[in-house]
Amino acid sequence: MADKQLEATHAAAAFQKTWFNDLRRRVFEERQPYALVQADVPFELFDLLDVPAVSNQWWAALIAARRQAPPYLDAMRADGLHEGLCRYCSLGYASTRYRGVQEPPWGGLPTPRLLCARLTCDCIQRVFTLWAVALGVELFEIDHPGASDLPVRWWELGRHEWRSLVEPHRLAFVVATLERLVERLEVISGRRLDRDALRRRLELVNLQEEIFDEVRALIARAPEAPVRMTEQITNVMATQWVRGSDWAIAHARALRDEVQHRVDAGVAACPGERARLMWVGAGLWHDTGFYTEFEESHRAVFVWSMYLAFGPDGYIRYGLDDPMAALASRTASFNEYLHNPPWAAEWIVEQAREHRIDGALVLRPRSMKPAATGRLFIERALEEAGIPVLPIEADVVDARAWDPVAARTAVRTFLDSRVIA
Amino acid sequence: MTTSAAIATLTDAFEDPSTDGGATDHALPVAAISWPTVPIEIIRAAGLRPVVIRGDSASTPLADARLEADVFPNRVRQLVEAVLAGRLRRTACVVLPRTSDPDYKAFLYLRELVRRDAATLRAPILLFDLLQSDGPDVRAYDAARTRDLFATLASLVQRSASADDVRDAIARANTARASMRRLLALRRGAPRVAGAEVLPLIGAFWRLAPDDYAALAGEAADMLDRRPPLEGPRVMLAGAPVDGPQLHAAIESHGAIVVAEPGPWGSEAAGEDIVSGDDPFAAIADRYRRQAIGPRTPLATVRQRMQPLMNDVDAVVVVTPPDDTAFGWDYPCLRAWLEALHLPHLCLFGDPSVPPGPEAHERIAALVAAARERTGTRHG
Repeated sequence: MADKQLEATHAAAAFQKTWFNDLRRRVFEERQPYALVQADVPFELFDLLDVPAVSNQWWAALIAARRQAPPYLDAMRADGLHEGLCRYCSLGYASTRYRGVQEPPWGGLPTPRLLCARLTCDCIQRVFTLWAVALGVELFEIDHPGASDLPVRWWELGRHEWRSLVEPHRLAFVVATLERLVERLEVISGRRLDRDALRRRLELVNLQEEIFDEVRALIARAPEAPVRMTEQITNVMATQWVRGSDWAIAHARALRDEVQHRVDAGVAACPGERARLMWVGAGLWHDTGFYTEFEESHRAVFVWSMYLAFGPDGYIRYGLDDPMAALASRTASFNEYLHNPPWAAEWIVEQAREHRIDGALVLRPRSMKPAATGRLFIERALEEAGIPVLPIEADVVDARAWDPVAARTAVRTFLDSRVIA
Repeated sequence: MTTSAAIATLTDAFEDPSTDGGATDHALPVAAISWPTVPIEIIRAAGLRPVVIRGDSASTPLADARLEADVFPNRVRQLVEAVLAGRLRRTACVVLPRTSDPDYKAFLYLRELVRRDAATLRAPILLFDLLQSDGPDVRAYDAARTRDLFATLASLVQRSASADDVRDAIARANTARASMRRLLALRRGAPRVAGAEVLPLIGAFWRLAPDDYAALAGEAADMLDRRPPLEGPRVMLAGAPVDGPQLHAAIESHGAIVVAEPGPWGSEAAGEDIVSGDDPFAAIADRYRRQAIGPRTPLATVRQRMQPLMNDVDAVVVVTPPDDTAFGWDYPCLRAWLEALHLPHLCLFGDPSVPPGPEAHERIAALVAAARERTGTRHG
């Protein structure tokens, strides 16, 4: 991976490692319960009830980034789990089931008290059930009712009109489920959820995402992108896992100030920028160097991914008289907006225009089939908007079939023939 | 009608939903359904005729341009192809259930294709949001969604239908299920009917009016019951449910008999009767939630339903279509069961709606030979 350009990125990476080591210490030495959860569950409830939550996707990305995924993936294959099954959401499970194949990153996950997952893709229920059995812990499922009302420009409703974004019966269902989750967490932690504290926390989440909105605008409007996409992701995700906390707010501000300073000083991630690229899909965690590979050869810089942009558009909820309903309105559809029609294509095209994108690389995930849906709608919409598209077939955690040389060659050809030409 | 004509009528209804079948419901408006977890009792009580779309070996070029490869099952590709080709222009509505992610995504896709004028379908595209997890809020949610589907459909065809109509539809479907159970019984022990022959007779349940089905299936069962038992190892299909007899035919061409398969088109089709009780909507929702074997069925339920079936077979073929995201996770457990039972098995990768190729046939032949050896050892 390329050198980090921002101080904030160093701070975010250091915070994550410290946070995880502290979690291990608290779990092992103080026997504090913690939860292993999917990235789209409401972390705020866990944090407020003092049950720290570790994101499954973060753990998978960490394993992949440290190039430790292949032994687990080979073990899955040897166990008869076919190659079409999702590797991203199951890599954590594999690190438990096949724990003997290698030493895991950072000492490994301690045994959690609870697993929690939204049942989005069909595989989630299976993977988390098996994981819960392997760990000998309970699983809390947040079922995922399907949307029938499909507002196209969802990001314009989410902040102020979130009640109209989710049908009343779906909202009520998710509220009821989250109330049960709270009951379960209260039993585990021995504490009661303070509803005023929840409201205050969501106000702080709003504040954090407003700051991210400023960062996004700075990046979109600057003559040349001041921050690489990879550094955006590191900073944003370290913050989102503990969103609304003192550290998260302080870090979001530090990031914004540093980006503002770079813009004011005319500092670019890739001076002499000739092409602005967007990455559509989950990050290529096993080869993040891919994203900076074309800066020197083509002055092409990745400017946009969903990770920063979804913060302000997906999380902010104003009007917190019923904070649980506001939280449920975010939880109810969450990652559908990122992939599926009609939501994803409209949003991504709008984002591409705002960020003056010259070309889009769209992930064609090999094994993450549900995340692969909507891709053709997105590719078509971008091309119709005049933005050239290069599909990239890859698995975000499985490097075994990834040909880094061929992929880079394809991008260079794309840049030469369709973007910079 | 002669009994052989009963078999022919059931088979025709299964293979071509445009046939008249028993003809008592021929004039009713059609609800095209992507998978039989949309309750036919609700469809019929509202005044429509369900046509459940199945996988097929026909190519789907229009759908292939819109649907990502290896994500959607064949049946969904066939449905989207039919919409894009304008073959569903006379359909009153299209209903897709939430019981799999591909069905839900296909609902979103179809709505988007219509919104973007890429499809000319005028009929509404509806989602039946049946959840299958075990949470305490799920039953009430499912009952409400079932009630809502009924109201939507009745309004669509401008029919004044009531809960009593639903109770009547339940009673008729239960009668049809009773006839179906007679067909299913012919597969147990020493089977009297091959899987490729009986699957269409079972599957016609989802397409014919229940009264017609009950009579025809009863007649078919009478005739089949007079046949001598079939020889050959008994094979069960495990893994993803199939909705056609292509794989059965391939396996049976090697001298085995397919006697069980999970899912609503096969040995799980009859399931339990629905007991109307005070709230027929809740009864229907609860029954479909519990009985539907699919990718969102809780793992424990799948295992509970599969395990007893394995006690009466000689070999197992694990079906793994390219779109599988769920059933493959249970393979290590399934393999352990099979090894404990000393049952030979085979994992077949590929679209079960398309006849398998030569390599798959070779593997099937080897499996059947192993099963034959096992049964020979066991019997004597």
